[in-house]
Amino acid sequence: MLVPWINQLLQGILLGGLYTMFATGLSLSAGVMRFVNIAHGDFIVLACFALLVLTTALGLNPVVATLIVLPFAFLFGFGLQRFLLQRVVGQNVLLVILVTFGLSIIIENGLLEGFGADTRKVSGGWLETATVALGQGINVGLFQVFTFIAAVALVAVLDLLLYRTGIGAKIRAVSDDVAAADLIGLSSGRIYAVAMGISFVTVGIAAGFMSIWTNFDPASGPTRLLIAFEVVVLGGLGSLWGSLAGGIVLGIAQSIGGQWDITWQMLAGHIIFLLVLAVRPQGLFPRY
Amino acid sequence: MITATTPKPLLTLSGVCVFYGNFRAIDQIDIAVGAGEIVSIIGANGAGKTTLLKAIIGQADRVEGRICFAGAEILGSTTAAIVRSGIMLVPEGRRLFPSLTVEENLQLGWEVGRRGQIGFDDVFRLFPVLREQRRQRAGWLSGGQQQMVALGRALLANPRLLLCDEISLGLAPQVVAELYALIPAIKARGIGILIVEQDLERSLSVADRFYCLLEGRVSLAGRPAEVTHETVIRHYFGL
Repeated sequence: MLVPWINQLLQGILLGGLYTMFATGLSLSAGVMRFVNIAHGDFIVLACFALLVLTTALGLNPVVATLIVLPFAFLFGFGLQRFLLQRVVGQNVLLVILVTFGLSIIIENGLLEGFGADTRKVSGGWLETATVALGQGINVGLFQVFTFIAAVALVAVLDLLLYRTGIGAKIRAVSDDVAAADLIGLSSGRIYAVAMGISFVTVGIAAGFMSIWTNFDPASGPTRLLIAFEVVVLGGLGSLWGSLAGGIVLGIAQSIGGQWDITWQMLAGHIIFLLVLAVRPQGLFPRY
Repeated sequence: MITATTPKPLLTLSGVCVFYGNFRAIDQIDIAVGAGEIVSIIGANGAGKTTLLKAIIGQADRVEGRICFAGAEILGSTTAAIVRSGIMLVPEGRRLFPSLTVEENLQLGWEVGRRGQIGFDDVFRLFPVLREQRRQRAGWLSGGQQQMVALGRALLANPRLLLCDEISLGLAPQVVAELYALIPAIKARGIGILIVEQDLERSLSVADRFYCLLEGRVSLAGRPAEVTHETVIRHYFGL
């Protein structure tokens, strides 16, 4: 009687790992750079399609394909910030939302044009179906466990990067006071671009795991954005470890909700999100 | 226009105008600062003192005229390039990064600047309290200690010219006196210092030369010893 619930609880925790990956990049741009990239989910899906092409057309191993995508993701994020988003940063926040919303529409329709509306998936081979039996009928997927470990590692590495390196200190300085940074010759435009590049590396990593974990199609982006958003707000804006907690909370809520009644899967997540927002609007682990 | 002789002109502004939209905040100003010279800019609120510093550091929107530093035109350069060439600002209100530690704030000064002899040890010798507080978040320090970090951050950039904007602002007189007592030590390193200050007495007491701004123009210039208090006050308020 209890076993399915325990299975779902574990599923939820592991799903939280994937959700954390969706959220880390958004956490960086929203928490550190103080703006919201509405196209975040679409960029994840765009990277998924890039991985699909690399793995099917070139027959590359998904891990190799992801590693190839990452440096390009960094350059793409860097360039996007430097040449497009930087023009609207610091102005009316509506402008950033409009520009990234426009990007979202371009990506979705571009993918639809290029790949059609079919649901796709990247094959993870044997890893996809391998399970670890924990006894008593409790099983978890090996790939899901890997994803969770990778999510924890990603958060740890980003945390080190932000709090233990020179570029991290610069990013935090710009986040503290952009104008002051410019006054002392820390070019905020360049630092924003590096931060966005890092954010896009997390997008590439998230895509690597998501493309194997679940189906995607050109219209999958907004749902990913919504999840990432909820995770960031649940965890506390700008708090990376908070994102991990937020991801797990959301994952468990969806898993347990789905076990109770499958139609409640997404709804349970949103309800938990709204409840936390009502009771603790600063999130579970606010940075300040 | 009075152009006083300087030991070695490090910074020269000739015919500089700064605009905010159509408003001319600075109008045809000529100013020079020599190496190892302390020059004070005095003037009432809104006279254009901070605007002038922003123009020098490359943070003003529209500037006309010529700004030469160490023989090179710097008008139009990025702030990062100007800082690397050896001008560093101690901004009004200190403008530290509050969530960063004292050490991280200082480190940023070191990274944006040019290489030189001033290192962390020199700054800690100048401000011993910062060595004890170096792991503390800058936002938690007292105002005086924050001003020390701001000065230390600027010195670590190894400037040849230091721009100090209202370093006495919001600080206890005792603390201000301590900070000003350090100015000669900085000058002794051959660093030129341009001080913007509302506190007339304080500012003139350390200055080799001064310029008084009134509504964006130089209304009086000279050496503090050569002018009477009344003359300064008259040109300060435009009476």
